[in-house]
Amino acid sequence: MISSQAKDSIERIFYKAAQARLPMAPGDVCGIVAIKPNSAGAKDRTEGLTEGRAGDGGASRAGKPQTHTGQVVVLTISGILFRLMLLLHFNEDDSTRDYFVKDDAQSTFEEIVAEISNLCCGAMNQELLRYFPDLGMSTPYMLSAQCVPHLEDLKPSYLSSYAIQLGDSVHIVATLCVCADGPIDFVADVTAVEESSGELELF
Amino acid sequence: MTQSYFVAALMSSVVTAILAYLIHRFYAARAAARLREESDVRIDALAQTHARRTEETGQEEQARQALEAAIADLRDDLARQIATTDEVRVALKTAVEEKDQWTQQAKQIADEASRLKSLAATFERWHEQMISLMTQNQDMHAKNHELSAIVRHVVIVSLNASIEAARAGPAGRGFAVVASEVRELAARSEELSKSYRNSLHRNDLTTTTTFQDIQAGGKMITASLGSVEALAHQLQSKLH
Repeated sequence: MISSQAKDSIERIFYKAAQARLPMAPGDVCGIVAIKPNSAGAKDRTEGLTEGRAGDGGASRAGKPQTHTGQVVVLTISGILFRLMLLLHFNEDDSTRDYFVKDDAQSTFEEIVAEISNLCCGAMNQELLRYFPDLGMSTPYMLSAQCVPHLEDLKPSYLSSYAIQLGDSVHIVATLCVCADGPIDFVADVTAVEESSGELELF
Repeated sequence: MTQSYFVAALMSSVVTAILAYLIHRFYAARAAARLREESDVRIDALAQTHARRTEETGQEEQARQALEAAIADLRDDLARQIATTDEVRVALKTAVEEKDQWTQQAKQIADEASRLKSLAATFERWHEQMISLMTQNQDMHAKNHELSAIVRHVVIVSLNASIEAARAGPAGRGFAVVASEVRELAARSEELSKSYRNSLHRNDLTTTTTFQDIQAGGKMITASLGSVEALAHQLQSKLH
């Protein structure tokens, strides 16, 4: 249903969006490695990673979110022939809270990670709009991480998880799930320079 | 003598008269001949002129006929062009009427697309139902959690009962069977509670992703209607 080059394209689009939107400071390192299915821990896979951000293996070290504890932020991008769900599982330890909350006393940790996730998914949506003119994006919602294994019940055409490391101590697990109702085939060119960054998307 | 003179004079007069007459006739004949020659020359000239005029008249007649034919052709052309002009005028009038209709239809499409964009509120209303469903799910999660706690307590109680039954010896044998049954029921309840918890999590995920799909689909439709509205406005402004 989804061609291999379309899967690679979705992954590239996710990498670009995550590296552009998840770090709180422009200079922060953002390492992303794919988590192979049925593996106990994250295993590095360097292909597709941006230069200077891969190969450190940091995301596979201890400290990544426990797979089925805590909460995940869920967002959906809907098209005519498919829906893409992005689930971001943020660790709720002190270093992660400090990294995202910083001095923001007006917002809760959940609100901030929901906003960050919304920005990341919004960047994916913008990129996908170049290939699928009719798309819409949902607002973020928090779910228990124990819901994540049930993604298989949605009979996805594409399901993949990624371990993301921001800076030295912040670990996020992202899961991409695409359910397609028809053949999906496209090649994404993510080399274009982003025109703007940092603006907030209202939801 | 006188008579002879008279006769002679008469005779000379007659001769003179005859001679004068003859001279007169001679000169008259010469004048007549000269006049005849001049007349012939004039007649020839007039004949030539006449012939030329006749030829010119013929040519003019041909030219006149050609002109009349050309005028007739021009008249036919004019009639055809008038007919064509009438047809073009009718076609133009029809085109103007059709253009007005298209402008009206483009406006209707723009208005309809604008009106249908309010569907976004409907999709949002559906999405809001998700919060209600999820609240109910959370309530069921809490109840299941409480049930799980009770079952764990029952397991502990049944274990204690088994221990007490063992202490009682043969007298407690029947009680041990009951405690074992209770423990088995508690274990089954625990399994059921775990299964129910999994079902609730699956339900959470299905509910959330379905309603998010509805919400995102609504935004997709709203955006598409916005594009239709913009295109209809562009068409409307081009037709004006």
